[in-house]
Amino acid sequence: MRLSIINGSPRGNSGNTQKLLEHFISGFLATEGNTVEVLYSIKDRPDFTPEKELFLNAERLLIAFPLYVDAMPGTVKELFESFAPLKGKNPGLKLLFMIQCGFPETHHTRFVARYCEKLARRLECEPAGLICKGGCEGLSVQPPALVDKVFQRFYELGKAYGETGELDDRLLAKLAYPEHLTSEQLQQVIPVVNNFLWDDWMKRNNVLQKSFDKPYGADL
Amino acid sequence: MKVLFINGSGSDSSINGFIRYAIDTVSAHGHDAKELVLRDMKYSPCRGCFNCWVKTPGTCVYKDDGDIICKEFITSDMVILSSPVIMGYPSALAKNALDRIIPLLHPYLEDVGGEVHHMKRYNKYPELGLLLEKLEDTDSEDIEIIHDIFKRAALNIQGSLKFMKFTDSPVEEVVHAIINN
Repeated sequence: MRLSIINGSPRGNSGNTQKLLEHFISGFLATEGNTVEVLYSIKDRPDFTPEKELFLNAERLLIAFPLYVDAMPGTVKELFESFAPLKGKNPGLKLLFMIQCGFPETHHTRFVARYCEKLARRLECEPAGLICKGGCEGLSVQPPALVDKVFQRFYELGKAYGETGELDDRLLAKLAYPEHLTSEQLQQVIPVVNNFLWDDWMKRNNVLQKSFDKPYGADL
Repeated sequence: MKVLFINGSGSDSSINGFIRYAIDTVSAHGHDAKELVLRDMKYSPCRGCFNCWVKTPGTCVYKDDGDIICKEFITSDMVILSSPVIMGYPSALAKNALDRIIPLLHPYLEDVGGEVHHMKRYNKYPELGLLLEKLEDTDSEDIEIIHDIFKRAALNIQGSLKFMKFTDSPVEEVVHAIINN
């Protein structure tokens, strides 16, 4: 099986989208004979010539991106706009999406996921699944055991996909947990992210005391 | 009231004339209305580095017109994001501008109605409106998806989506929605 991937992250190959993809890919490649090719669309704007070529020749195309202001990053929207002339040009293409977000709840990704599913139909491709995952900004501060579990699930999802050619709904649901947080979980998670991710990061840069700066007007 | 149209259209879009007329009408009602024409501005897309949160709090690493977008946004009472619906969504020009306003928020998370959102950096944020130009391939499903995403986006940038209007409706209707906000 041949899988083509476009990593749409503005951070290219050094972001969380990349980390999750790597585990999905290594699972996919566990099946002998499977092959993967990956493009980083941030390098190819504004023409996206390699991505357009890939779209036309792929059998299965996975487009992955992080959530930016509740939707696709502007540069991924550029990519989608560049695909407009390709509508109907690869009708057998199975088009999949992976959306990850920093917010702990996967729910935040579900709205742009609807857009992606529609985009697959708009391009007259076969909508072949949506991989949605919250909690990714916390990956760097979560206990290694939890992070490994996330990576392991991406591996399993990729492995099952590499064997069957379908995304396993049960694995997708497991991966998406938690879709929402209970009020107890909110009370636990919020201080952890604020203190261990953001405060630590600001402290390292010596700007914690400037954390609430208002450069556009102290009175605003 | 200070009203800002963020114009994410191309030069041939019907939005341009629509905004000009809306600005005249809103101004005639005694409000301060202006537009940012994104296609004439220079700003890099957000690169997701988070320096605006953890290194130079509140300020983007890029020194470009993103600074004007942030300043005009945070000093407005109402922001109307205006764009054609291209491939089922507002333009990349508009989305790249919207991605650049995250310095206006604080990285801290807080519980907003049972969901995690970002904390305010400033005391007051503008209300949001959407002004869309439907193209040939725009259907009601696209509009519904855009509406639902922007309701979420408004929540995340500490405002609410007050209205969604289209360039095929009378300008007076849009002006009415702005003034009676």
